[in-house]
Amino acid sequence: MPGREHRCAALGLMATLGIGFLVLAASQTQAQKRQKAPPVAKEAPHTQMQEVTREQQPGAKEAVQADVSARNVAVTSSFNGIEIVIFGAVDNSQQSSAESGYYDVMIVVEGVPGRIVVRRKNNVAGLWLNTSSATFDVVPSYYAIASTRPIDEITTEEFRASHGVGFQHLRFTPAFGQTQALSTEDLKEFREAIVRLKEKQGLYIQDNFRVAFIGKSLFRATIELPANVTVGPFETRVYLFREEKLLSQYTVRLNLEREGLERHLHRFAFGYPTLYGLMTVAIALAAGLIASTVFRRAAH
Amino acid sequence: MHFYLPVAEMSANILIFLAMGGAVGFLSGLFGVGGGFLMTPLLIFSGIPPAVAVGTESAQITASSVSGAFAQWRRRNIDFAMGTVLLAGGIVGSVLGVQLVGSLRRLGVFDFFVAACYVTFLGVIGTLMLIESVNTMRKMRGGTSVSSRRSGQHMWIHGLPLKLRFQRSKLYISAIPPFLIGMFVGLLAAIMGVGGGFIMVPAMIYLLRVPTNVVVGTSLFQIVFLTAATTALHASQNQTVDVALAVLLMAGGVVGAQFGAVAGERLKAEQLRFLLAALVLMVGLRFAWQLIAPPADLYSIGAAVGGA
Repeated sequence: MPGREHRCAALGLMATLGIGFLVLAASQTQAQKRQKAPPVAKEAPHTQMQEVTREQQPGAKEAVQADVSARNVAVTSSFNGIEIVIFGAVDNSQQSSAESGYYDVMIVVEGVPGRIVVRRKNNVAGLWLNTSSATFDVVPSYYAIASTRPIDEITTEEFRASHGVGFQHLRFTPAFGQTQALSTEDLKEFREAIVRLKEKQGLYIQDNFRVAFIGKSLFRATIELPANVTVGPFETRVYLFREEKLLSQYTVRLNLEREGLERHLHRFAFGYPTLYGLMTVAIALAAGLIASTVFRRAAH
Repeated sequence: MHFYLPVAEMSANILIFLAMGGAVGFLSGLFGVGGGFLMTPLLIFSGIPPAVAVGTESAQITASSVSGAFAQWRRRNIDFAMGTVLLAGGIVGSVLGVQLVGSLRRLGVFDFFVAACYVTFLGVIGTLMLIESVNTMRKMRGGTSVSSRRSGQHMWIHGLPLKLRFQRSKLYISAIPPFLIGMFVGLLAAIMGVGGGFIMVPAMIYLLRVPTNVVVGTSLFQIVFLTAATTALHASQNQTVDVALAVLLMAGGVVGAQFGAVAGERLKAEQLRFLLAALVLMVGLRFAWQLIAPPADLYSIGAAVGGA
């Protein structure tokens, strides 16, 4: 058998793959650099913050302003969740110190709403299998509430219902054209299951004492976006309350985007699935042939 | 060290999946099996969505079986005519299987179906292998020689039309049985994320009566092309092939297989078969447990697939 030619062919394949990996690796490190550098540069609210401390006038109407530590988060191959710092300040703060508890702040971070299927297992002849399901639309992929005190002490029930704040007020709507007709109680159970499972996955978070004032007008909170979070735009809403009354509200957006190798592979897999499949097969064939050549030579 | 998998959409520990590939590679080298029936369950139990586990594993089997097929080809142990008929059936089966995976996912019963398939096939094959290896070991101890292949028997299979001459196998039989066997294996390969050698090899020996020296080579030849086709189909139809995960598994697998093959030379064939049977049964039982045990949470959530 012409072993020499096979070895040459395998070496050629190895070289091609090697170069391919180097190119991919290079694009990835670039993406990581991009991820690390810009968030600091992009935060420009320092000027605003200085104004806040300058304009303290008693009796004037309070307003809240806020920003997040990273407005653009790159999801690269090394992405393993991220902690976001949300900070803000109360304009014309009337409170005497950080500890006075004069104001209450509530922060809601919401991911892209999407369609979700909930399934329920049943025991059929001794075996557990999914027998019923419900599909909901407008289910936020991520939902976190952080506040200075429990939200039912800060806000009224009407407020929470009208603003869709709190797990029980999320506006999941049963998708049109459900295959199974479901009773109201079933729907309620399915809805609760979504919240419970999302909480377990760290995608729905409620923390009643996460927001802390660190001065008479400055406050901050940290919120975790776990590794399994869905990429896309996130809306961060900051509410300022005084005795259950909404004084001011502020909205910041943050964006999670695939970058580098991660972005290329994902786009390739979902945008050109056939080509992607063929590439995977080519990699598999090359890997197998290279391995057999390398190990056969090592054995001799 | 973590890597965010682009299709599975989760952060995976690189070392764990490399080790997993290595361990299964070692066992597949040791027993001379593809390892799909071990790897797919391991992936599922480690949290990879079952559909992604199945799709990705077919890519890894392509990689691990191509070197074996190549070696067999060099030794002229492949019956290309037989392999082609088996493959033709296999691809038909795979197309059907990939469609079935899509429909089952939409119905939300894919996980159940995979588990049920594993319990059934691993249970039956594991039990048969266990009985056979125990019998062989007992006979070897008794000193009687074990007769291998009974040949020259006429069965209903030989009455079918479309007869073809399979030169390497020294057979003149209808193309229909190998086509159907290939189709069945293709269906299983697509649903279970396996190469199907564990069905193909006994079927070729006992049903088609292919000489044992060409069975392994022909089966490997068929598996390479079948799993390659299945990978491409899963990727294009269901978008459930994660190339990053596949590369990790391949890297671990090829290294593990070399060590496994060396270790395998030190064990006797019937001992190997006994161990393999025990392993097969254990995986089957693990899936059975999943079907019978009350789940921790009756509810599960997932993204809507294909418009639900």
